[in-house]
Amino acid sequence: MAVRARARARGKPPGQETGIPAVGAAAIQPAQQRQQPYARGRHRDPQNVPQQQIEKKPEGLQLSVGFQSLCIGDRGGHRKDYHDLGVNTRQAMEHVQESKTGFSGNVIKLCANFFRLTSRPQWALYQYHVGYSPEMEARRLRTALLLHHDKLIGKSYAFDGSVLFLPRRLANKVTEVFSKTRNGENVKITITLTNELPPTSPTCLHFYNIIFRRLLKMLNFQQIGRHYYNPEDPINIPNHRMMIWPGFATSILQYEESIMLCVDVSHKVLRNETVLEYMYDLCRQVEERRIKEICAKELLGVIVLTKYNNRTYRIDDIDWDANPQCTFLKADGSEISYIDYYKKQYNLDIHDLNQPVLITQRKRRRENFTSGPIALIPELCFLTGLTEKMRSDFYTMRDLAVHTRLPPEQRQHEIGKLIDSIQRDDNVQDQLQSWGLGFDSQLLSFNGRVAQRERIFQSGNVFDYNPQFADWSRETRGVPLSCAKPLDNWLLIYTRRNYGSANSLLQSLFKVTPSMGIRMNKATMLEVDDRVEAYLRALRQSITPDTNIVFCILSSSQKVKYDAIKKYLCTDCPIPSQCVLARTLSKPQTLLAVATKIALQMNCKMGGELWTVEIPLKHVMIVGIDCYHDTSSGKRSIAGFVASLNQTMSRWFSRCVLQDHGQELVDGLKVCFQTALRDWYKYNKYLPSRIIVYRDGVGDGQLSALVSYEVPQILDCLKSIGQDYSPRLAVIVVKKRLNTRFFVQRAGEFKNPPPGTIVDVEITRPEWYDFYIVSQAVRNGCVSPTHYNVIYDTSKLKPDHMQRLTYKLCHLYYNWQGVIRVPAPCQYAHKLAFLVGQSIHKEPNLLLSDKLFYL
Amino acid sequence: MDKNREEGRITQIMKFTPSLSKQRYQFIKDLVWKYKPKKVADLGCADCTLLWMLKFCRCIEVLAGLDICASVMKDKMHRLSPLPVDYLQPDERSLTVTLHHGSVANKDPCMLGFDLVTCIELIEHLEESELRKFPEVVFGFMAPSIVVISTPNSEFNCLLPGVTSFRHPDHKFEWDREQFQSWALKAASRYDYSVEFTGVGHPPAGMEKVGFCTQIGVFVRKHPPTSDSAQFEKPAEAVYKTVFKAVYPSLKDEKYLQHAVVGEVVFTAQFMKGSLLDRSVLEHKCSDHPAACKSGFQPSEDLEKLVVEKGTEPYVDGSTFYVPLRTIFSFPKVNRLCGTFEKLCKLIAGKVPLSSDGSAVMLNTEGE
Repeated sequence: MAVRARARARGKPPGQETGIPAVGAAAIQPAQQRQQPYARGRHRDPQNVPQQQIEKKPEGLQLSVGFQSLCIGDRGGHRKDYHDLGVNTRQAMEHVQESKTGFSGNVIKLCANFFRLTSRPQWALYQYHVGYSPEMEARRLRTALLLHHDKLIGKSYAFDGSVLFLPRRLANKVTEVFSKTRNGENVKITITLTNELPPTSPTCLHFYNIIFRRLLKMLNFQQIGRHYYNPEDPINIPNHRMMIWPGFATSILQYEESIMLCVDVSHKVLRNETVLEYMYDLCRQVEERRIKEICAKELLGVIVLTKYNNRTYRIDDIDWDANPQCTFLKADGSEISYIDYYKKQYNLDIHDLNQPVLITQRKRRRENFTSGPIALIPELCFLTGLTEKMRSDFYTMRDLAVHTRLPPEQRQHEIGKLIDSIQRDDNVQDQLQSWGLGFDSQLLSFNGRVAQRERIFQSGNVFDYNPQFADWSRETRGVPLSCAKPLDNWLLIYTRRNYGSANSLLQSLFKVTPSMGIRMNKATMLEVDDRVEAYLRALRQSITPDTNIVFCILSSSQKVKYDAIKKYLCTDCPIPSQCVLARTLSKPQTLLAVATKIALQMNCKMGGELWTVEIPLKHVMIVGIDCYHDTSSGKRSIAGFVASLNQTMSRWFSRCVLQDHGQELVDGLKVCFQTALRDWYKYNKYLPSRIIVYRDGVGDGQLSALVSYEVPQILDCLKSIGQDYSPRLAVIVVKKRLNTRFFVQRAGEFKNPPPGTIVDVEITRPEWYDFYIVSQAVRNGCVSPTHYNVIYDTSKLKPDHMQRLTYKLCHLYYNWQGVIRVPAPCQYAHKLAFLVGQSIHKEPNLLLSDKLFYL
Repeated sequence: MDKNREEGRITQIMKFTPSLSKQRYQFIKDLVWKYKPKKVADLGCADCTLLWMLKFCRCIEVLAGLDICASVMKDKMHRLSPLPVDYLQPDERSLTVTLHHGSVANKDPCMLGFDLVTCIELIEHLEESELRKFPEVVFGFMAPSIVVISTPNSEFNCLLPGVTSFRHPDHKFEWDREQFQSWALKAASRYDYSVEFTGVGHPPAGMEKVGFCTQIGVFVRKHPPTSDSAQFEKPAEAVYKTVFKAVYPSLKDEKYLQHAVVGEVVFTAQFMKGSLLDRSVLEHKCSDHPAACKSGFQPSEDLEKLVVEKGTEPYVDGSTFYVPLRTIFSFPKVNRLCGTFEKLCKLIAGKVPLSSDGSAVMLNTEGE
């Protein structure tokens, strides 16, 4: 989180920095604007590179730059460490030095989408330094001079102008050769061995990944973003103007026992629509005065492709004062309008001369370029991916899921097809052989364990649930809740049109609540006009100190109303609230089921408890943290924080931290921990002896920041609680978005592994104390395991106990009568952060902090 | 003369703006613009920069590159691949880009039938034996309508600091204008071409006598070749090795045309359904704030204002929404793609749900 916030700070919308001329500037803009053409990088002349920059690059930097030249047409620059290489957290945890594996549960044979990298015996990568005398500056020239000696260098090499990698050792440690320049000058080239890199070194791993990307290109895959896609066989979804490209997400890493390739099917959603067409569409839908606001909301943060190059850009801002007739400065200092530039450079015509200009921040800095914003023309950009609006559209997602949610058998088949084509393609095999590398053709197989099934306790009753569905809604039907809160005094607000729905809901609630043990009086019924102000007036007038909960029936999913109600009832007037769409209540056949769910949810929001599982661990406080990133409004991030208040983990304290970009999360965390511990003390009359933090919302490549900033801050904060208070702490990073997939083979077919499957061998990382759990069950598609990485642990819990505690916590999310993907506190924290980020935009009233009001 | 000004001039001499190579490429682009060739080959295409620039010229349908060095071609050849967007909105024109590995001293049938063949800074890299065969291969065998040959003008070398012998160590020779022109005229007359000389890289003021930095000969074939002679000489076997081939998606390909039409038909039908069922929303919007749009940004192609012929209005029957195909055909995009109504019917058959008599697109109104 901290890292992301800092990265954002760089990505300041340029509109704020550059003085853009007044409205209606169809005339030429001052050319000193920092907007630069995208084609610059392509045509850059190596002779223009200042000398010192090449010479004074530190060694480490050269190494990573070294791979730029290696990847054909790959986007250069310093790439992020997506795999968190080099963060070694296990070495600091004594109790997992020997073993980090658990033991309980039944052994199960599993396969995973991993393939071992094979190499010739004693394979190593040899790193050479190449020096020129007299000194040559231009990289192109240095490369050309070296390649005069192709017999010496061989077919497979990687060279960036000073560092040379070869798959084999030259005869001598220092080799001297001579070349002649165009000026007839004799140049001595000295090739000195500087390093012999073992296959497991980070440089080698990076190198394998680049080689693999090369192979994918040879197989005619196209790179979009980080992954590779097959353009030949797209799936068209004309209803939504979408096209799906099937492809693969791949990475090669050092895993527990060996270096492996992880391959997962990935789908890229491309949209058959330019940004301009999309803007027209928005124009038709909304009032004109709001068009800028709506465009910003829908488009900022969206990734676009252009008509003229193979790059993706993120829209960071829209410059409404600019248009295609504005001019910018080219690399050579001349001034040109966008229209003329695209006509001249790419023979592209821009038709709409009034369209605004999109602004994107250059993400990666190339070594020699000052980074500045880039301007893009909406008409020449195509949308990719899904907007928030589309994601929330059930029909869009349903149509997509048909194509993207592959069942295990099919997913395995697609992965196999890629591995097959790698083995079959001659060019690919040539390339691999020249580097002395290869891949296993079989999926990796190993043993996992299936944790013992948990029993569900609900007010004196014990239930087993069907492990296949990981759901106990049927088993616990009609059973009193662990702790039921009465509905003595509550409001039911509806519009005239929904009077019928309100009544039938009330009837249904009267039917379902008695068996749950919920005492219920008739609600105070309030009919309001379908306007925001009407709802708010009704709330202000009718809420009394005795009101248990407010129930609102909304006629359509208009976010404004929902947001206003939630904001008022979470901040100004802290009372639990339940909003339901009238449509949800419209089908008589499902009404009882809906009413049951609503009753459960309302009970939780008022501070009730539903069920528990057995948690043997005493005096432990569980904390969940997740983040929500608001891309549209001011780029604020919200961290949701929840902490357990009791032994059974049925009550949770919550707070959230709102941070503007550039601010560190940790400052807010301190306050959260302090209040959480104070509340814990109020409930238990002692402080917890162990604190276990589940940290969700950590992006790829942010682990090191977490380890070096956030963990020490948590420790500091605990120290500040009291001099003689030093609880044991564990911090676990929870990751849901993985490319890892597990399969079990049953009757020759690949199936999803059962809920409760734990994996802590083979595909874990040797430098981490990590494990995978498949806790949930899915109806269709492939189940996605969750990765748990214990980055700090003084809890003294055995790995087996840590795994089982984690699995137990996945049973405790009260908004779902079943097992979920992550521990309940993470999901609660997510819900809280989402509510605050989407609707409230303010810290909720602390009077609500011991209730699950955010469900 | 003022010393500072002289120094300024010298740096000007050393550096052309735009760079000399860009000027050469621009020269070719201008030529393509003028003659609109359909098939263009670049001999000695090196890192494919010229081919990459030419792929944006919409008159070209076949692009080929040839180089003696495969690795330099392979280095950046993937930029000649179609872009994602080319698949999203296939172009009307078809385009095939092919890279061959081989020598200009050899004849290969894949080089036949081109309209324009460019040899940018190529001949000076040829060994004497290769140079001898070159005119026969290019003018005699390939025999395109136009050939462009550029090569350094050695008279200019005195203005290039540091250049003692040749501009590049791999150059086998560098000719002055007279040498180049006599070679060119000889070849032209032998193979029935006319040739004009020009160049890029203007000499600085006062030094005009040295001529252009790069000299260029533009050869135009005088008569269309008799197809028989070409047939006769055609060697049986291919000697070049194909290292890269990209076929761009094009609407000329039935598969892509069908995708595009089906997409457009479904979207148009959805749009009509949406605008009809949400009419109230739209009217509300229109009545509100009549002159609030300050940006001047507005949809140019207003679908709502399309006049729908009588008897072809969309209609609802039960939970099904019908949009007559005639109506859909009247939308400019669909119309442009299909050309005729029959073609439209043929392309969407079996791909879009149609009413029983096949005259209207059916959409479900439930739930959405």
